[in-house]
Amino acid sequence: MPPLLLFPSLLLLCLRLLRAEPLAYPAVISPQDPTLLIGSSLVATCTVSPDFHLKAEDLYWTLNGRRLPAASYAALSPTTLSVALARLNGSKQQSGDNLVCHSRDGGILAGSCLYVGLPPEKPVNITCWSKNMKDLTCKWAPGTEGETFLHTNYTLKYKLRWYGRDNTCQEYHTAGPYSCHIPKDLALFTPYEIWVEASNRLGVAVSDVVMLDILDVVTTDPPSDVHVSRVGDLEDQLSVRWSSPPALKDFLFQAKYQIQYRVEDSSEWKVVDDVGNQTSCRLAGLRPGTVYFVQVRCNPFGIYGSKKAGIWSDWSNPTAASTPRSERAAGSCDPKGGEQNTTLRRELKQFFGWVKKHAYGCSNLGIKLYDQWRVWLQKSHKTRNQVGSSR
Amino acid sequence: MAAADSPSAALRRRDLCSRGIRLAGKMRSDVVDLLDTYVEWQGLDASASVAAVEGVPAAAAERWDEQTGTQRLLENLAAYRAFRALLAQMLEEQREQLGEADTVLGRALAAVLLQVSAFAYHLEELLRLESRGPPSEEGAGPPPLPHLSLFERKLRGLGVLRELAQWAVRSARDLRQLAKPSPGSSSAPSPAESP
Repeated sequence: MPPLLLFPSLLLLCLRLLRAEPLAYPAVISPQDPTLLIGSSLVATCTVSPDFHLKAEDLYWTLNGRRLPAASYAALSPTTLSVALARLNGSKQQSGDNLVCHSRDGGILAGSCLYVGLPPEKPVNITCWSKNMKDLTCKWAPGTEGETFLHTNYTLKYKLRWYGRDNTCQEYHTAGPYSCHIPKDLALFTPYEIWVEASNRLGVAVSDVVMLDILDVVTTDPPSDVHVSRVGDLEDQLSVRWSSPPALKDFLFQAKYQIQYRVEDSSEWKVVDDVGNQTSCRLAGLRPGTVYFVQVRCNPFGIYGSKKAGIWSDWSNPTAASTPRSERAAGSCDPKGGEQNTTLRRELKQFFGWVKKHAYGCSNLGIKLYDQWRVWLQKSHKTRNQVGSSR
Repeated sequence: MAAADSPSAALRRRDLCSRGIRLAGKMRSDVVDLLDTYVEWQGLDASASVAAVEGVPAAAAERWDEQTGTQRLLENLAAYRAFRALLAQMLEEQREQLGEADTVLGRALAAVLLQVSAFAYHLEELLRLESRGPPSEEGAGPPPLPHLSLFERKLRGLGVLRELAQWAVRSARDLRQLAKPSPGSSSAPSPAESP
């Protein structure tokens, strides 16, 4: 370039930098976007281009928007200012801490992102399940520090034991944040080796290898067509019927089922655990005239001779039914209290009749004596209550 | 504006403008929310001064009231096509950095990108009505961006979203101008719309 043209070119460059392309920064920070361990120290420098006529003493630093104390600065040259950062904490945001060099008026001259954290920890607790033997989903837990400071990538890998080649799972977050779904091309009757690799800017950690046969981790859809109905006029019973999950109909040689039920106004479920392989069951000992919610689930264990315990399906959607009302209770204002008293009194009368007939030595024992005792009991309750309330 | 002569075309244009004004209003509100999320996620100061960014169309217009309808539409379309490319790149960078993680920022960026694409399509429809048709996109895309450091990308993203928020305001006003009946047109004035 002829020397005469140099000055206008530089002038043009400066104008471009100042107006149209302010992102071509007038300064450079070194190091750019470093990754550091928690607790480490860093000396960064900001060097301004001589074209901008800025001096090192006119500059200052901020970290995540907070001005760093001038005591940590050193002017290394007329155009270079350094800052010393000691015992760094983990990054405030996963996109990196912003270390910025400013001119005196606050303008941004250059920036660098600091990634401060820890290497990943070994993922743990890998659990997998196969829905209807067609796919495989695995979940795991990150190490204890998780992803507190640095974004961590997780890769689930699997291979057929003995002769397989490594495959990488592609569909992540399908069953929560640390999960992956393998939708097809899974082999039966040969165990898989499965493991998870965690990697971030500071390193890689590999989980222990889990070995499993798809047949040992089969789960299925909840039982379909759950029907709940009354058992004639029996006021304390309901009958539950369902169909086995259609997807596994041909394989369910040893499926077992569980039922849970609860009354409408309670959140507490009662579980019936001994349903076995049947597809119907009668619930007994229920409250008369009460609405019950019922759910059923299936455990397809023992498929093709698997010896493992099997994995329970989700519960079916709740099905509701009510028990018949008790006829004796109908029309009574206080069905429970009144009914109980009458029954007790009747039984006592029978008892004393029996005593009179059979216990010759206690002839003055009788229902009158019982009534006198009740009067005494009421009086003693009343007295106790008065004493209690006067305290 | 040849097509503006026909009353049905005028009605259609007014209808498209009204819908465009509503779209711009919604876009503006979503971009403002996205800016909040972006600033928090990147740890930036919301008031950080980021001047014009290369490749980002500036919303500031001189002699705005002297522009013709077609001119307005063409400038808007060029701007939103550029924003579409810029937002797609921001989303790509976000994925590069965080993998496929389903983040609040990623979701919000994707939603605004969709709105920008829809708005660009809306502008193309309006241009077709002007018997002009939208210009071809071949070679009209923004030049490939220079390699930027991570901090520079953060600032560029802030500049893109700020400018897009301004453009949403300008577009609503452009469309309101466009919806006004042209002199000599017999159609009734459109009801006032606000973004």
